[in-house]
Amino acid sequence: MDKSEPMANQDQYAIQVEALNVSYDRKRVLSAVYLNLKPGLVYGLLGPNGAGKSTLFKAILDLIDVDTGRVLINGGSVQDIRKEVVYVPQRDDVDLSFPATVYDVVRMGRFPHVSLMQRLGKADKLAINEALEKLGISHLRDRQIGQLSGGQQQRVFLARAMAQQADIWFLDEPFVGVDATTEARIMTLLHDLANQGRTVIVIHHDLSTVRNYFDQVILMNQRIVAYGKTSEIFTDEKVAETYGSQTSIQHRTNLLG
Amino acid sequence: MEEIITAFDYPYAWRALAASVMVGLMCGALGCFIVLRNMSMVGDALSHAILPGVVVAFMVVGGYSALGFFLGSVAAGLVTAVLITWIQQKVATKNDAAIGIVFTTMFALGVMGISWLSKNEHAHIDLKDFLFGNVLGVSDSDLVLTGMICLYVLASLYVFYRPLFATTFQPVIAETMGVNTKLVHYFLMLLLSFAVVAALQTVGVILVVAMLITPAATGLLLSRRLPKVIMIASLVGVLAAVFGLAIAFAFKTTPGPAMAVMASFLYGLAVFFAPERGLVFRFYRKRTRERRIEIEDVIKQGARLEQNGAMTIDGLVEKTVLPKGVVTSRLKTLAKRGLVTLQPLAMTNLGKLEAFKLVRAHRLYETFLVDRLGLSEDQIHDEAERYEHLLTDELLDEIDQELGYPETDPHGSPIPKRG
Repeated sequence: MDKSEPMANQDQYAIQVEALNVSYDRKRVLSAVYLNLKPGLVYGLLGPNGAGKSTLFKAILDLIDVDTGRVLINGGSVQDIRKEVVYVPQRDDVDLSFPATVYDVVRMGRFPHVSLMQRLGKADKLAINEALEKLGISHLRDRQIGQLSGGQQQRVFLARAMAQQADIWFLDEPFVGVDATTEARIMTLLHDLANQGRTVIVIHHDLSTVRNYFDQVILMNQRIVAYGKTSEIFTDEKVAETYGSQTSIQHRTNLLG
Repeated sequence: MEEIITAFDYPYAWRALAASVMVGLMCGALGCFIVLRNMSMVGDALSHAILPGVVVAFMVVGGYSALGFFLGSVAAGLVTAVLITWIQQKVATKNDAAIGIVFTTMFALGVMGISWLSKNEHAHIDLKDFLFGNVLGVSDSDLVLTGMICLYVLASLYVFYRPLFATTFQPVIAETMGVNTKLVHYFLMLLLSFAVVAALQTVGVILVVAMLITPAATGLLLSRRLPKVIMIASLVGVLAAVFGLAIAFAFKTTPGPAMAVMASFLYGLAVFFAPERGLVFRFYRKRTRERRIEIEDVIKQGARLEQNGAMTIDGLVEKTVLPKGVVTSRLKTLAKRGLVTLQPLAMTNLGKLEAFKLVRAHRLYETFLVDRLGLSEDQIHDEAERYEHLLTDELLDEIDQELGYPETDPHGSPIPKRG
């Protein structure tokens, strides 16, 4: 983060957050958040429970009211480029009894691309099928979503994001309740996306996988503690500073070696 | 039957039928979204709350008019929807309490207004018609209005299907996709007000909610895809309307309640007979599973008895703790599959193999529970007794491999090798 960079470079950033403050019921959740995130990287967003990670996502996506601050996505307002941004929320918010099949859910990814009176066209169907294929769930397309395992469900929601062909991805703990095969597959997918020049931000809990998973990390606890290259930022010291002196966390950071 | 046929000599019966069918169709389809959004009680509230709108329209126009009636009701419906949402969001009152407060207030105001109108203005309006509907009194202009409302509601559901689907399933995602979820909410409230006004004459305010939620709940039991759910719900709505009307003619009773009862009857059929989720199907599936477990117990105990001497029916009854009748009947099934012979009672080679598999499953799972989950030896038998019937061959092989191909189980008994 270098605030003295010339204005002309602003276009290079996929996401810019300036002076963001958010509170719930007069309780401050995010304080003075500044971020400049570059495209083509996979970011890990780390912090203890209650650090405001999901809130930061929601604020960037303009889903909640903020006290002060400004968010720019590809240099503009998120409202103007909704279809370029995709959000994969935590899986437990989903009504699994909803009468929707895998195909119905993945199909939603194309909704931002067609206007109200339009039908889904060939290109849309191609994108849907490609996404199903890529995540290995083509054979499940007619299953109702509640009949799938946790890992399969997560693949469905990622396939939907994929079908949307968005430029910037926000994933909130995509590995919770997911099998190891799916986790590895998701990670490969995310790095493929970054290699295509897209931006991926993942809220993550398992500190032992951070080094292998993320190009860059953002450490936060209501404010940004540090962010940048994983090798430089993800140090025992900074992690301890982020998580405070909770013993369980110290135990976890010791495991990092 | 005769009453039904003669009733249709009169045009009012045809008008009643047409109005009811349209209401059933529209409420069934719209109701799916209402139910899926957990807004059934809002539907109920809205229907009760349109009464003051009717009163105001009556006073403004100075009498009954289909259009005034319509506009007054829709306005009252929207006021109710806004009030409920406002209280839910801005006041520290629980959601369902907010609904209760708003709709009882509106309803009470409406009832006061109507009784005042009929006493002081000597207007020909009957509170009972509002409460329970008066489908036999549907006029041509009412019918035209109902037809237009029905068309508008169905067309809206079709055109706005995608935003409705998205906001109903995952409102947050819909919002990130640029859908204005608030606007969709109020639009749905508008459609709901339309449907309620149309349904008012056929079933009355108290029972409108039956036409909205019962067919939708039926559809949700019968299909796992929204478009199909909507079609089934519309069909159930239509059937309830038609049969309800027929029942009303046949037994000379009020049509509105007959339609509501009919809808519930169809719902009841689905509760019992729906494939997969129906009670009958689930009972049958449970029964099949129990039978399989009994069969497997008989074969396992049979093999054990034979090892220690001979397999007898009495021995099996003692070991499996099943009634004698059940044991003999399961033995017959086993004989048909070639796992035992009945004369004399003995295991075939195939049967022995099957018994080995079960013993293997039992002992491997016991080993797994002790080794990996750290349970003690006396905790594991009952657990393994249940799981031996459920574990697949592939899973067992993986457990075997994971445990490093153990020779004996925690009790020291040998674990049979695969095959």
